[in-house]
Amino acid sequence: MVLADLGRKITTALQSLSKATIINEEVLNGMLKEICAALLEADVNIRLVKKLRENVRAVIDFDEMAGGLNKRRMIQSAVFKELVKLVDPGVKPYQPIKGKPNVIMFVGLQGSGKTTTCTKLAYHYQKKNWKSCLVCADTFRAGAYDQVKQNCTKARIPFYGSYTEVDPVVIAQEGVEMFKKEGFEVIIVDTSGRHKQEEALFEEMLAVSNAVRPDNIIFVMDATIGQACEAQARAFKEKVDVGSVIITKLDGHAKGGGALSAVAATSSPIIYIGTGEHIDDLEPFKTKPFISKLLGMGDIEGLIDK
Amino acid sequence: MFSIFKGLVGSKNLTANDMKPALEKMRDHLIAKNVAADIAIKLCDSVAAKLEGKVLGTFESVASTVKNTLNDSLVQILSPKRRVDILRDCLESQKQRRPFVVTFCGVNGVGKSTNLAKICFWLIENNLRVLIAACDTFRAGAVEQLRTHMKHLNALHPPERHNGRTMVQLYEKGYGKDAAGIAMEAIRFARDSGFDVVLVDTAGRMQDNEPLMRALTKLIKVNEPDLVLFVGEALVGNEAVDQLVKFNQALADYSSNTNPHIIDGIILTKFDTIDDKVGAAISMTYITGQPIVFVGTGQTYTDLKALNVKAVVHSLMK
Ligand SMILES: Nc1nc2c(ncn2[C@@H]2O[C@H](COP(=O)(O)OP(=O)(O)OP(=O)(O)O)[C@@H](O)[C@H]2O)c(=O)[nH]1
Ligand SMILES: Nc1nc2c(ncn2[C@@H]2O[C@H](COP(=O)(O)OP(=O)(O)OP(=O)(O)O)[C@@H](O)[C@H]2O)c(=O)[nH]1
Ligand SMILES: [Mg+2]
Ligand SMILES: [Mg+2]
Repeated sequence: MVLADLGRKITTALQSLSKATIINEEVLNGMLKEICAALLEADVNIRLVKKLRENVRAVIDFDEMAGGLNKRRMIQSAVFKELVKLVDPGVKPYQPIKGKPNVIMFVGLQGSGKTTTCTKLAYHYQKKNWKSCLVCADTFRAGAYDQVKQNCTKARIPFYGSYTEVDPVVIAQEGVEMFKKEGFEVIIVDTSGRHKQEEALFEEMLAVSNAVRPDNIIFVMDATIGQACEAQARAFKEKVDVGSVIITKLDGHAKGGGALSAVAATSSPIIYIGTGEHIDDLEPFKTKPFISKLLGMGDIEGLIDK
Repeated sequence: MFSIFKGLVGSKNLTANDMKPALEKMRDHLIAKNVAADIAIKLCDSVAAKLEGKVLGTFESVASTVKNTLNDSLVQILSPKRRVDILRDCLESQKQRRPFVVTFCGVNGVGKSTNLAKICFWLIENNLRVLIAACDTFRAGAVEQLRTHMKHLNALHPPERHNGRTMVQLYEKGYGKDAAGIAMEAIRFARDSGFDVVLVDTAGRMQDNEPLMRALTKLIKVNEPDLVLFVGEALVGNEAVDQLVKFNQALADYSSNTNPHIIDGIILTKFDTIDDKVGAAISMTYITGQPIVFVGTGQTYTDLKALNVKAVVHSLMK
């Protein structure tokens, strides 16, 4: 399971609090050090990790605090709060509305898994009896349209694309219009991979977005990404209205902590995770249950609300 | 009350404690530059070991001494112990009338096929004839991706410019078939048709997917390529370590050879997407001791560079 290893390490670190006879500065520092090391090994952005440490320290004032039990509880609750902040931007994800066209545009870095995930998502809705389809607005990557075509044909998902049109804006617009007319409910637009350093690619993304006016833009992030995630995610958000995040390739060894910084940088929740190359390797993601599971705790909500 | 002079007067032996603040800062700095966390720690430990007991010169500060030592270590890690000279080796096997075979491997989506195409471009610019073997028989569009590149490359280097020879050809058997078998047929075909080089594209795979790692090992074992290149992206964080360790381990363990063929070199891709967070270069070379043969710096055929060690270390230290 995602971040499971990290969860174990954090739980162990938190347990060190229960074992300690007195809770003082030293115990707290020791615990924070362990937690931060675990987070860094999982690729969580170093600035977010430092912030977490500072925030926890800021809540705990040893001079003012009373008995040991209270201290433990306060420290644990402060750590939980910070961890939840990493994964939970506090906004509800966009929910497609049945019976009306929902245009969902995919964006992200090169090779992050957009095209594969587009098909997975279209298939996911199709299985639930939504009329879903795919528009291939990647005219850049060699074989991009063939990839969509083969994936969709296999899954019997209607698709739109072109071998000759070179302007992704034209394809996106035509495809979305056509499928809207035909009464499709989930219209997914796949786009080329891009990165913030190439301004022309970002302008193109904006142009596609302006042309199809998506109801939701999904930022797809690879679970293996390290410290470069944050700056990229932020740049995507600044250019277009990213509303959700999908983290892919979590079937491997990667803990996905780098990709988590996309949540903070885009203020968008994770809605699905990708767990393999096959069409049904897509799992819905729910923030709060995830955290409870991560830390092997049942009553985190209770802890946090205090 | 004399402690304030300690930093200035030169006769003090460095202790681990003196270095601790500077080293911790360095460690965090390296992690922020995307060096894998445990490698950042190991690097700082080795700097401490090197410096412990040393006497500082009069005007040297602990921080700058630590920094300089680390700088040297980084240069050393990135400087290849062994040179991979593909052009020379290609010409050598050309003399022996057998194609030079390169296999590309790595996890999903890192840029194997694209950088294979870039290397193909570079080879035909050097007047070598290339056969591309489409051994990713899994991912949708993988074959068409390579066919598109072949067409583009032949358009850039038409036969008229090369004594009527078609410089690139694709060997493919569609999808679903055994990759090792296709590679073998391709190599035979290349030998019979006088190609100079065979570039073998393989499917992306997760390093701990045992069936897929076994299949890759088989491909390498039965076809004995001259060069096995690992393709890794500069975006990768701590996973760089696990990927390389496990690719090497699989290639060694699943091949029952006493002298298995493991990774010979690295292609570091998407170097244009990371600004100064160049740490993956360190993680990858530290783990394998193998050279970064090429750096991918974009999505067009000319975006293939040699590693500039000085520039990378500069980005890391600044
Ligand atoms: N193991 C695994 N592989 C995945 C997953 N999602 C995607 N992939 C693989 O990652 C590689 C890249 O996926 P694509 O869907 O082509 O990525 P993309 O973002 O569309 O790439 P560009 O269009 O070139 O930017 C392919 O080999 C996919 O099979 C996942 O969840 N797990
Ligand atoms: N910016 C940038 N993009 C790159 C670079 N190299 C490859 N890419 C892009 O990364 C994406 C994935 O490249 P591929 O060559 O298909 O990757 P792959 O490893 O063959 O993928 P799979 O076969 O699906 O595992 C494509 O969009 C490429 O254009 C690079 O050096 N810089
Ligand atoms: Mg794509
Ligand atoms: Mg490929």
